[in-house]
Amino acid sequence: MNLQLIFNGISLGAVYALIAVGFAIVFSILKFSNFAHGGMISACTYIAYFFQASFAKTPPLWVTIVVTSIAGLFIALILDTIGYRSVRRKNSPNIYYFVTSITFAILIEQILTVFFGKTSYGFPAMFEKKSFEVLGANISTLDFVILLISIAILIVLMLVIEKTKLGLAIRAVSIDSKTGRLMGINSGSVIIFTFALAGILAGISGTLLGMKYSVYPGLGGSMLVKGVIASTIGGLGSMSGAIIAALLLGVIEMLSVYNLGSSVTPVILFGIMLLFLFIRPQGISGKYAQDKV
Amino acid sequence: MSSYQISLIIQACISVISITGIFALTGLAGMFSLGQAAYMAIGSYTTFILANRLGIPFWFTAIIGIGFSALIAFIAALPTVRLRKDYFSLITIGLGQAIIALLITFSKVTNGAQGFTKIPKVKNLVWIALVITIIMVIIIRNLKYSRFGRMCIALKNDELAAKSFAINVYRLKITIYILASIIASISGILIGLQSRVLLPETFGWTASSEQEIFLFFGGTNSLTGAVVSAFSLKILPELLRNVTLFGQSMQEYRTILYCILIILVLNFRTAGLFGEYELNFNFLKKGFHKLKSKKSAKKNNGREDS
Repeated sequence: MNLQLIFNGISLGAVYALIAVGFAIVFSILKFSNFAHGGMISACTYIAYFFQASFAKTPPLWVTIVVTSIAGLFIALILDTIGYRSVRRKNSPNIYYFVTSITFAILIEQILTVFFGKTSYGFPAMFEKKSFEVLGANISTLDFVILLISIAILIVLMLVIEKTKLGLAIRAVSIDSKTGRLMGINSGSVIIFTFALAGILAGISGTLLGMKYSVYPGLGGSMLVKGVIASTIGGLGSMSGAIIAALLLGVIEMLSVYNLGSSVTPVILFGIMLLFLFIRPQGISGKYAQDKV
Repeated sequence: MSSYQISLIIQACISVISITGIFALTGLAGMFSLGQAAYMAIGSYTTFILANRLGIPFWFTAIIGIGFSALIAFIAALPTVRLRKDYFSLITIGLGQAIIALLITFSKVTNGAQGFTKIPKVKNLVWIALVITIIMVIIIRNLKYSRFGRMCIALKNDELAAKSFAINVYRLKITIYILASIIASISGILIGLQSRVLLPETFGWTASSEQEIFLFFGGTNSLTGAVVSAFSLKILPELLRNVTLFGQSMQEYRTILYCILIILVLNFRTAGLFGEYELNFNFLKKGFHKLKSKKSAKKNNGREDS
């Protein structure tokens, strides 16, 4: 029983990790909390659902994931063009990024509500065998597949950031964008690439969340809060910290839902976040985003 | 006036009251909170549940409700305001979610998602709302020009520089946060009196962010702008009630309309609609002085003639 709970928690945490990383990667570059990420997740979930529903025979999962990640990329680029670009050009304070992203989050949620209604849609069943047994634990195929996909994506992402030249550029700009520009890095295109990466992550996590839960306009927003908590506990802007914290958060949430009920769980997660900030404000990774003179 | 128009005025008043709190927090001190609706919920739920349980008049329990939300704000502020401003806004979201979850969990007391309806009826609510609105606007206007307000503006522009000028940043932040939550709980109580039902989801993070958006629409540095935008953006969708688009009333598109307006303002007039402008009555004073001097000049002329 416990093994099953922990496995479910890890699978949930892996999806949270995808969200938290998408949130953290934008934070590390531009130092603002990108709330539009939740809206992008919601939009991608709807795209995934209607893409699957438009075919008589359900297309394979990887096709849907590729389609939604491309859709997420385009949404991210559109948001960048109509919102963030002017903030960047005018060198406005960071708070304007923040306000713009919140506006986008509400805008996307409202558009989905007005055009598709508040009713939730359910994805068609994907797998013939719903669950299998390992060591006496009943593990659902869906959770297993979600865990595998999330881990694969996270590994690819870490490889991109740690091994490629583009990843090096991202890391350099995240430390100091002005010095980065002096060293011959085109920080403008690095920022756009980062948004695109976040959009792809939002697309993938949107599909996975849609499969796991039902599809409704507020899905992305409520899931983003979990990603934000994970990202805060892990240390804002740190990707490895966000992944560890997200996995922990998933397990804690599952245990809390099982033992205490789902309605009180947000309070417990919030309490953990507050406690963590009290004890160790720099987060798990120890990277502390602090104002400099 | 019809009851519909009166309820519109009350709604606009509530919107203006809550934006004065947000203005003090975000416009003056630069702290971006996404959980102010939580304090509305705390204030109104405490007030009306106590009034109902203990059988005392609600205006007495309102004081307890406001005090309680100030206490919660103090507890929440202690660990959080020391951190970077980003952490602060993230934590306020978590706080909002936690409060709503608590309201739903303790549904025996709050009646959960069905809504708490045992709220006394008040006559002439519109006058009460108007008076409170005017008092709040005057208080915040005076606050802006006081020593405290100037300290807040210094804190907003550069925290480190403010610290180096011997401003106790930590205490200042806690004070202004408590002030903002007190104002939020007052507007929450008014919401309860007006709609006579309290639902947990009316106090979600979209309600809080709506106020922040109003503030940025009017201009973060201008109280006039904040008040005007809170008033007009609340009334605007009601004027479009009868206009239809794609077979749905324009009211459905209300929030979409807001968002598009805000994005336009942020793109083309980043400082907000009013920028730094503040409405003042200096021109009246000047006109009065002119009139006075003319009169006295006439008198003098008359004397010379005789």
